[in-house]
Amino acid sequence: MTRAARLAIIAGAGLLLALGASVAGSPGPVSDLIVLGTAIVIAEQFELRPAQRAPLPLSFAVVVVLVRAATPSEFVAVVFAAFAVAVALREHPTGLVRRAFVYAERLVEALGAAAVFHGIEDAARSGDARVVVLSALGAAAITEIIICDLVTLVRERRVAPLRARGADLAVVTSGMLMAVGYEGIGGEGSLGLWGPLLFSIPLLAAWYSFELLASTRRNLRQTVYALGSAPEIAGLARPGHVQRVAELATSMGSQLGMTWADVEQLETAALLHHLGAVCLDAPTSGAQLDPVAVAEAGAAMLRASEALAPAGDIVAAEPVLHRVPGTSTRAGGSLTGQVLKVASAFDELTEGHDEHAVWAVEALYTGPLYVYDGRVVGALERVLEERGVLAARG
Amino acid sequence: MATNRDRLLTLLCLGVFIVAFAAAVVLAVVGPPPDLIALAVFGALSIFAANTSVVLPNDSALSASFMLCVASVVVFHGGAQYLGPLLVGAGAGLYLPHLREHDWRKVIFNTGSLGLSALAAAAVYSLVPNSVLESVPGELAAAIPTALTYSLINYLFLTAALSLHEGRPLAIVADELWLGDLQIYPFALMGVLLGRLYVDVGAWVIPLFVAPILIARAAFASYLALRQAQEATLSTLIRALEAKDRYTAGHVERVAQFSELIGTELGFRAPQLVRLRYAALLHDIGKLVVPNQILNKPGRLTESEFAEMRKHEPASIEMLCRIDFLAPIAPSLEAEAAGDHSGPIEARIIGVADAFDAMTSTRAYRRALPQEVAFAELRDKSGTQFDPACVNALITVLERSGEKYGAGHESDVADFAVPPPVAGLGSAGLGNLEAEHEVSS
Repeated sequence: MTRAARLAIIAGAGLLLALGASVAGSPGPVSDLIVLGTAIVIAEQFELRPAQRAPLPLSFAVVVVLVRAATPSEFVAVVFAAFAVAVALREHPTGLVRRAFVYAERLVEALGAAAVFHGIEDAARSGDARVVVLSALGAAAITEIIICDLVTLVRERRVAPLRARGADLAVVTSGMLMAVGYEGIGGEGSLGLWGPLLFSIPLLAAWYSFELLASTRRNLRQTVYALGSAPEIAGLARPGHVQRVAELATSMGSQLGMTWADVEQLETAALLHHLGAVCLDAPTSGAQLDPVAVAEAGAAMLRASEALAPAGDIVAAEPVLHRVPGTSTRAGGSLTGQVLKVASAFDELTEGHDEHAVWAVEALYTGPLYVYDGRVVGALERVLEERGVLAARG
Repeated sequence: MATNRDRLLTLLCLGVFIVAFAAAVVLAVVGPPPDLIALAVFGALSIFAANTSVVLPNDSALSASFMLCVASVVVFHGGAQYLGPLLVGAGAGLYLPHLREHDWRKVIFNTGSLGLSALAAAAVYSLVPNSVLESVPGELAAAIPTALTYSLINYLFLTAALSLHEGRPLAIVADELWLGDLQIYPFALMGVLLGRLYVDVGAWVIPLFVAPILIARAAFASYLALRQAQEATLSTLIRALEAKDRYTAGHVERVAQFSELIGTELGFRAPQLVRLRYAALLHDIGKLVVPNQILNKPGRLTESEFAEMRKHEPASIEMLCRIDFLAPIAPSLEAEAAGDHSGPIEARIIGVADAFDAMTSTRAYRRALPQEVAFAELRDKSGTQFDPACVNALITVLERSGEKYGAGHESDVADFAVPPPVAGLGSAGLGNLEAEHEVSS
């Protein structure tokens, strides 16, 4: 069944239930709560997926509406039921245990949001209604995101960066607007379910843009990866060399505090640093291709495109020595070029075997000082220590 | 020297602006003054929205100024209910690139026409009884004729201006611009609710509303930049291929172009066309693994060289399979070349486009054939070697456009050391075609 069909069935079932509750004479809010529960189920199937961050489900915004629309006991009942259905219908993750984990995570996030909302509302009951409501709604939405980040930290040992929080802001502001639209403030501006329904449109626009962005990013990475595998398929590079160098170089770049944009270009350069080899005529038997000629041919191709020119510069800088031999003068290569040089040399020495890592690092340290940048070799060492390939120094 | 049409266009722009300006003056004199804070907030938002855009699921862009004009109709209702929307609508005409380029004609036309569109929308909204506007569904229902009026007036002005600007008949322009785009109407409903919330809750709601739109826009801008990088990566591939095999320079780009023409003729939608174009650009990616000496060998290949050359097909598949959205097509490209048409339509399209380009370009082993010979060959083998729908689509679209390819129409012929023969075996396994079809040209 396609996702669209599944969502249509959920929406239809939810509306029928709400209609049934209304016809059966249940108090007004019951049908609204059923609709909001259904909205949680549907919104859970959509995630904002910013780069370098855990995905944010759109259900976070609906929970903010529910936290205000329901009493605490109603909230708990709706959240337990809705997320059970929502998580069961998600495409990912697969497996009962993983789904149970996501279910537990969503419950903690929702209950945390409710606790913060009611805490602020109770503490500041005498204040200006608008300030209190908006602060409580904002804090509730932020609580969900903080818990989500904490779960990522525990599960993946990855700290979410403080920058690039656009997706978070979209979820928080949309959730607040949808909640204000539902019930208004101080008895004014209540639009009922029309509010959350129509004010979800900007959030959906943001979701659509993030989806386009994520799929294009994935396609681009895969295209670069496919292109980068050409030298390997042609037998001009060792199997897996460019992928290993790309992984190592990006870790070293992050270790050296490079910006995300620089690290991305470094990854592209690493994946394509042997591309020039496929364009050169094969050497006479037994001879090796000239590494400088390979780098120059690859760099020339990349530099012809504005978007890939920085990666071309890194490829061109790879064969450049760190210093002018016999002097303390830098040879003019960039730090990113040095990272690629060291990562590539390390992989050439180890041929992808971790057991050669100690020897390879020593070889890089004991080589002539003008060849490799000591800072970069240090970064390599720290990355290998973090990976457990090298024993950490005491 | 200005033509009559140009003068008429200038008169239209001036006329629209003067009418809008006169209406504003009259309303300012006889009507109540607008709430200045609301005017500042919605005027600024309107200018801002006109200079940004929101992407819609069909990849078209929509300025939020339409929604803000509808919101202003609600906000000013009962007060300066005509002047307020008129001024907010006029704000949407202040498009910064036009101002920077001192393109005053566009500026006055847009401010005037959008102002009058908003004024007409406000007039329609004011006709709705207050009893209807007391409920949310009533207000939402009132948004429909309001939005339709805005769209219709704007459409009429735009049709007239474009017809004069482009020198095309009014009816044709009107037909092209006709607004059947239902996707904009939810934005009108949202505008009504935004206006209602502003009136009831205050300006607090504005940042909550604007933030996700700005974020959507920023994400879309990043997407466009990445798409550019994707194109750049494909260009890199093309350069790599051209650096290896100068005789097929331009081949992959032409195959991509023919494939897109066929896809469009067959009714492909934008995302399908993108996938088709990428698959076509990458269909020869495996040639990267073939040694240059073999690719560029002028004479007949030895058996071992031919075997080496054939490695490009599995290599192409291996590399394409690493790209998720092309992986389903990849195995079919080889099957298509072997005459198996059971694969996805994209592979069949690329098969036809590849063969057509192979026939209509000069190669080391043969000069380009005339387009008519290529068409005849495609028709002959339609249903066996080639997919009939794809063949028909290519021939139809090229005959309709009058574009010519092949002998006498090549744009970039490689400089061959040994001039290629007039006829010869084609790379698409098509045999000695010119002799077969006996084209007199």
